[in-house]
Amino acid sequence: MKLTERQSDALSELINIAFARTGAALSELTGHRVLLNPPEVAVYRTEELRGALAKFVPGDVASIHQVFAGPVAGDALLLLNYEGAVHLTDLLTNGHNSSAYLDESAREVLTEVGNILLNACLGMFGNLLNVHVTFSVPRLHLETLDELLASITTDKGEKHYALVVYTAFQIRDSSVKGFLVIVLSVTSLDRLIQEVDAWEAKQSN
Amino acid sequence: MTETSSKETLLNAAVLRWMHDLAAQGIITTDSELNIVEWNHWMEEHTGKRVSEVIGKNLLDLFPELTARRLDRNYKWTLEGQVRVLSQALHGYLIAMPVVSPEHGYEQMQQAVRISPLNHDGKIIGTLTIIEDVTERVAREGELQAQVEARSRLLSSEKLARNDAERANRLKDEFLATISHELRNPLNAILGWAHMLRLGKLTPPNVDRAVETIYRNAKSQAQLVADLLDVSRIISGKLRLDVRPVDLLSIVNAAIDSIRPAADAKSIRLQTILDPAAGPISGDADRLQQIVWNLLTNAVKFTPKGGRVQVKVQRVDSHVEIVVTDSGVGISKEFLPYVFDRFRQADASTTRIHGGLGLGLSIVHQLVDLHGGSVSVHSDGEGKGASFTIILPFVGVVSTEKESEAVEQVHSDKINTFEGLPTLEGLKVLVVDDEADTRELIQEVLKDCGSEVILSRSAAEALEALEKYKPDILISDLGMPDEDGYSLISKIRALPSERGGHIPAAALTAYARAEDRMRVLRSGFQFHLPKPVDSAELVTVVASLAGRAYKS
Repeated sequence: MKLTERQSDALSELINIAFARTGAALSELTGHRVLLNPPEVAVYRTEELRGALAKFVPGDVASIHQVFAGPVAGDALLLLNYEGAVHLTDLLTNGHNSSAYLDESAREVLTEVGNILLNACLGMFGNLLNVHVTFSVPRLHLETLDELLASITTDKGEKHYALVVYTAFQIRDSSVKGFLVIVLSVTSLDRLIQEVDAWEAKQSN
Repeated sequence: MTETSSKETLLNAAVLRWMHDLAAQGIITTDSELNIVEWNHWMEEHTGKRVSEVIGKNLLDLFPELTARRLDRNYKWTLEGQVRVLSQALHGYLIAMPVVSPEHGYEQMQQAVRISPLNHDGKIIGTLTIIEDVTERVAREGELQAQVEARSRLLSSEKLARNDAERANRLKDEFLATISHELRNPLNAILGWAHMLRLGKLTPPNVDRAVETIYRNAKSQAQLVADLLDVSRIISGKLRLDVRPVDLLSIVNAAIDSIRPAADAKSIRLQTILDPAAGPISGDADRLQQIVWNLLTNAVKFTPKGGRVQVKVQRVDSHVEIVVTDSGVGISKEFLPYVFDRFRQADASTTRIHGGLGLGLSIVHQLVDLHGGSVSVHSDGEGKGASFTIILPFVGVVSTEKESEAVEQVHSDKINTFEGLPTLEGLKVLVVDDEADTRELIQEVLKDCGSEVILSRSAAEALEALEKYKPDILISDLGMPDEDGYSLISKIRALPSERGGHIPAAALTAYARAEDRMRVLRSGFQFHLPKPVDSAELVTVVASLAGRAYKS
């Protein structure tokens, strides 16, 4: 499945609204201006995910993972490479956590940030689709990309797609690249894209 | 609902209540209006609020601070279906509670919080808040972090200190190797010739030559010792200046006179530009002469044959300037800052052309300092000469004092014969040493025992002689200019046997440390003869090497 240019633009715009909310929430929390760069959106089959992500996260990844259920169901993840995760925590906590590794407090911060971002995006999709989704408690994992992909792509009977959203957090003259991955069943994705088309049509009228 | 399932539900509820009360976390359950439904034992203990006081009360009414700190929004979002995570690092705490362990310096208990919606049949019927006390953990992380930072600071400062110590140690080692070399070289000639004098078998002209060589070498050693003593006096602050009004020009002239023979020997042109107005200054005449003499010696030493050394003395405002310029080997940009350091020479390897301890300029620097002056160096780089400028404060006094020092001139034009040691009849020995005294001494000893001696001044000459004369034994010095003894022996050992590749060889050197000995033996020599060489030992070694050669 490929997104048309219009669909891709519309989806980017919608996610950008969620990102703006996330940025505002993080700015308020940290007392620093936090911006999330305009997102780039692409759709992959889950078996293509590895190739698509490998070049961005060569080493270990930190992921904040939330399962969502309801009429639209799947997995939502915020992915950062390990150094990026350390740097982001550092920036958000005023260098309070300026070590080279993620201690318990740093992991908590990342979990909170991931949770805010995932909630903003999925909440926005929920509103768009006018459905109610429920979330699991967010979990932070530190593992290799392969381990991570194995945990989200196995045991899924129906064909699945992944919506991959690239962005970067801009905080205090620094930038930390990350991406959002939303794994959806083909029916869920179809439904989402229909709604995006409808929203786009409404916008242009 | 069946009886069994209702019994199960009751049991489950009882178990849950127990678990909640035993939990080491705070647990608050509310309905969808945020009225408190459950308040566990931990919450009672840490807030001091009893269950009976809070059940049925609205959470936000009970804790108005939640709204004031805008944390109430989290409950609104939870009621919309979101799970909320509140980290300690970004929020500190949800509900103010006193700390259990005040020693960590926190006024409030630090908390990590999760707020989840409670669903039933697709509807949200309430919220569940779980509060964890992380004060201890956060304090521990802080300490750990401080330790890590302190350790990395310590490591980097330790590393710096260690580098400094290692560099100082290496300089000291190099200095010790140099000093052992410089002190042993004259000693070699002194002991060798003295030994022959004692045997009483020298012809009268050779007695003169022996005495002359001994005297010259003893003088040079005395100079080394004097330099060392000066340095040690300067270091310990015991050097005293005998300050009087002195005539700088006569001091400079005396220094020039004393260096002239050495300059003439190398056909170096000594040029002087002396400003009569530079006249009298206040200082220690001997030390001032030592300063100028050291600079001139240095200039002559580092200037090749046919070069030029210029001394300029001029009065500039309220000071006097002495500038010694040479057309010599120059100083590399890298070495320039270290020129006045003690024990430093640009080239500490064994291929050293110039000898000396590297103390002269350090002494100059210290003595000029003691006179309230300054010394600086300029060089455009290697091969481009160097120029040393001394600035001394001018004092308007008049003096007629003149100082001068004559330097012995030395002639080496005689060759000696010597008799009286065990026979080395029929052996051809190739001797390689850049110092004439050592060469001749060995020649005397070996010749006297009946061997034929071929002398070479350098490794290159030795290689030629090896082909030409087919010697039986090689005796080679290690520290020679251009190419050292190690390089020579490795080239020889690479030759086929018929061209002398297997010639028995002994190394002769003033570098007498254990690691020098090891290196000598590993590099292809059979013997290591430390200088000063004992004549009997030399002959025994040559005989022994020859014995091996005959056997193979």
